[in-house]
Amino acid sequence: MNPLIFTTILMTVLLGTMIVMMSSHWLMIWIGFEMNLLAIIPILMKKYNPRTMEASTKYFLTQATASMLLMMAIIINLMHSGQWTITKVFNPTASIIMTSALAMKLGLTPFHFWVPEVTQGISLTSGLILLTWQKLAPMSILYQISPSINLNILLTMAVLSILVGGWGGLNQTQLRKIMAYSSIAHMGWMTAVLVYNPTLTMLNMLIYIMMTLTMFMLFIHSSSTTTLSLSHTWNKTPLITTLILITLLSMGGLPPLSGFMPKWMIIQELTKNSSIILPTLMAIMALLNLYFYMRLTYSTSLTMFPSTNNMKMKWQFETKRITLLPPLIVMSSLLLPLTPMLSILD
Amino acid sequence: MLKIIIPTIMLMPLTWLSKKNMIWINTTTYSLLISLISLSLLNQPSNNSLNFSLMFFSDPLSAPLLVLTTWLLPLMLMASQHHLSKEPLIRKKLYITMLTMLQTFLIMTFTATELISFYILFEATLVPTLIIITRWGNQTERLNAGLYFLFYTLMGSLPLLVALISIQNLTGSLNFLLIQYWNQALPDSWSNIFLWLACMMAFMVKMPLYGLHLWLPKAHVEAPIAGSMVLAAILLKLGGYGMLRITTMLNPQTSFMAYPFLMLSLWGMIMTSSICLRQTDLKSLIAYSSVSHMALVIVAVLIQTPWSYMGATALMIAHGLTSSMLFCLANSNYERTHSRTMILARGLQTLLPLMAAWWLLASLTNLALPPSINLIGELFVVMSSFSWSNITIILMGANITITALYSLYMLITTQRGKYTHHINNIKPSFTRENALMALHMTPLLLLSLNPKIILGFTY
Repeated sequence: MNPLIFTTILMTVLLGTMIVMMSSHWLMIWIGFEMNLLAIIPILMKKYNPRTMEASTKYFLTQATASMLLMMAIIINLMHSGQWTITKVFNPTASIIMTSALAMKLGLTPFHFWVPEVTQGISLTSGLILLTWQKLAPMSILYQISPSINLNILLTMAVLSILVGGWGGLNQTQLRKIMAYSSIAHMGWMTAVLVYNPTLTMLNMLIYIMMTLTMFMLFIHSSSTTTLSLSHTWNKTPLITTLILITLLSMGGLPPLSGFMPKWMIIQELTKNSSIILPTLMAIMALLNLYFYMRLTYSTSLTMFPSTNNMKMKWQFETKRITLLPPLIVMSSLLLPLTPMLSILD
Repeated sequence: MLKIIIPTIMLMPLTWLSKKNMIWINTTTYSLLISLISLSLLNQPSNNSLNFSLMFFSDPLSAPLLVLTTWLLPLMLMASQHHLSKEPLIRKKLYITMLTMLQTFLIMTFTATELISFYILFEATLVPTLIIITRWGNQTERLNAGLYFLFYTLMGSLPLLVALISIQNLTGSLNFLLIQYWNQALPDSWSNIFLWLACMMAFMVKMPLYGLHLWLPKAHVEAPIAGSMVLAAILLKLGGYGMLRITTMLNPQTSFMAYPFLMLSLWGMIMTSSICLRQTDLKSLIAYSSVSHMALVIVAVLIQTPWSYMGATALMIAHGLTSSMLFCLANSNYERTHSRTMILARGLQTLLPLMAAWWLLASLTNLALPPSINLIGELFVVMSSFSWSNITIILMGANITITALYSLYMLITTQRGKYTHHINNIKPSFTRENALMALHMTPLLLLSLNPKIILGFTY
């Protein structure tokens, strides 16, 4: 793509999300979502083949439906409150419709079916933008309307997402689908604590974005999209395999890595609000996630997977540069001792 | 406590910056020096604990375990030298780094005051152990073993996290120094029964309790020697230590909640001892014997009398040293014949007489011969369980007999008789191996002269 055009389109995506996050008028928020959607379609379709077209179409259809539902919720809100300012949602029906719309945008169960298919159809870099940047805008709206969200619906969606994200990823060997199911599960964790303490949602989002960014950077570096091709990295750059191990264990939520921090804080917040069975169930279902991360580490870092001889020659070729890898690795694995710093968020 | 933790952390740069011919010398020497520092903690005044800061403390229960942990690192390094000799330098350094990281987490776990910090470090010990088992184990079954190990422990300990946080909400603080003075009885309700279960299951899985012990034979057998040593000697004791700490907060539910676990342990110790009599795999035999000894510790902790606590503590230390020594002996066989089958290496007394002396001493301490500290531990547990209920003496007596049977079976099969003709060309014992066995045995024998340092906080 012409670099100038690509920059313009990317800036439109960024601008769309910025408009969503910074507006106080509901119509502007909807406009921001539409800008974001329309501009990201060419980015998803950077490589022009039927697979990408199918993925972009699916993405467009689901997101457009969600935007329409959002518009309906905005109108019902306008009808009941008489103003367009985003404060809280004044009508329970509008709140339910808005929550469903935003869940569809985020990829929460039962609206999660598009996430694996879309992520699989597009390139790794586009998948990265899809799973990290695109989650910011809906999450910011959920954060702002969090006092008026129906707790039952949100918690059901959250718990089901964690379950689906864990269970669905068990049968996958394609790395992009694994990351998609991981995204569904993490979105579940984030929305579970939204009503109790939205700050923790933001913390989880931050750490999730860092870990996903790291994982995608490592995948892009070894140009691998399947488990099999990832298992050849020990031939090329053994250091990358260690980094993959650390980041995957962090995504699984194992102490002492920083992926444990959001889970711990969320369990603490939920327990403080006297729900005990829910965080226990959530924590145990996160073990499903850990299982397929472990399987990935087994084939990649912890064994020297059998490979043909021409795999061993790959180290002779120039390696791709990974942007900002050391800070990302440090932030996605070593942040746990900084947990007391969360008190500055009060 | 930082005077132990920071040198242990600094062992990692030491490994990475050492030259090729100095890595083993450097790390073994400095870890021995660190273990000498930790010996000073055994000087425990009065009944209170030694409080170093708000975050670290050591009391008569954690001090012997800490000394055992720091003592074991140089032994693990000595034991690993042979099987790592063919690996490239970076992999040797990675292995030593994993062991050192595990050591740091273990030291911090045993001295943590805040229970959530204890939990985080308890879970943190899983990661280096998993890497050691799956990366450096020898057979394909090690992958399965790693998964079993990780998931059994995590399933048990995630409810513990929720339980600790809810206790913190109820009582306001989880700092152990505070809790030991502010002990309230837990009200009797269904949710407190689940709280009891959530608190205890993590440690039951770690011990392991008889019904949840499936991960242990897999993990111990598939791990390399240092992994087996640290698993048997320390990681199992983490469960015992955790149980001893947390049962102080869980009264009075323990009086009736403990029954199923007591039954499982009492029956389980007989079952696992009997299985030892039918094992062909030497490491598997030692692994099941660990389950059996730990079942005694579970019985002791759940009975909650002063004598049983003394017995539990003594048994943990004694079993740590004995089990680790048995694994080193089994490894010396494995390095020569590359097989763990017992009958493949028979009659070793003729070929390696000094090693046979170490086999004899290890087997004798395993069957709790007087006056070793194993006997002190087992005797205290048997006596306190007799006072709890007279009938347990039958099971305990049967267990002691069967333990003697399988220990002697192991000794006689490997040492006595005519040697098999295919092992007449094995290498003689290295000085390193003899030093390893001596360093295991000497603390064990010396402690029988002054056992009160390992008798824990109810002495």
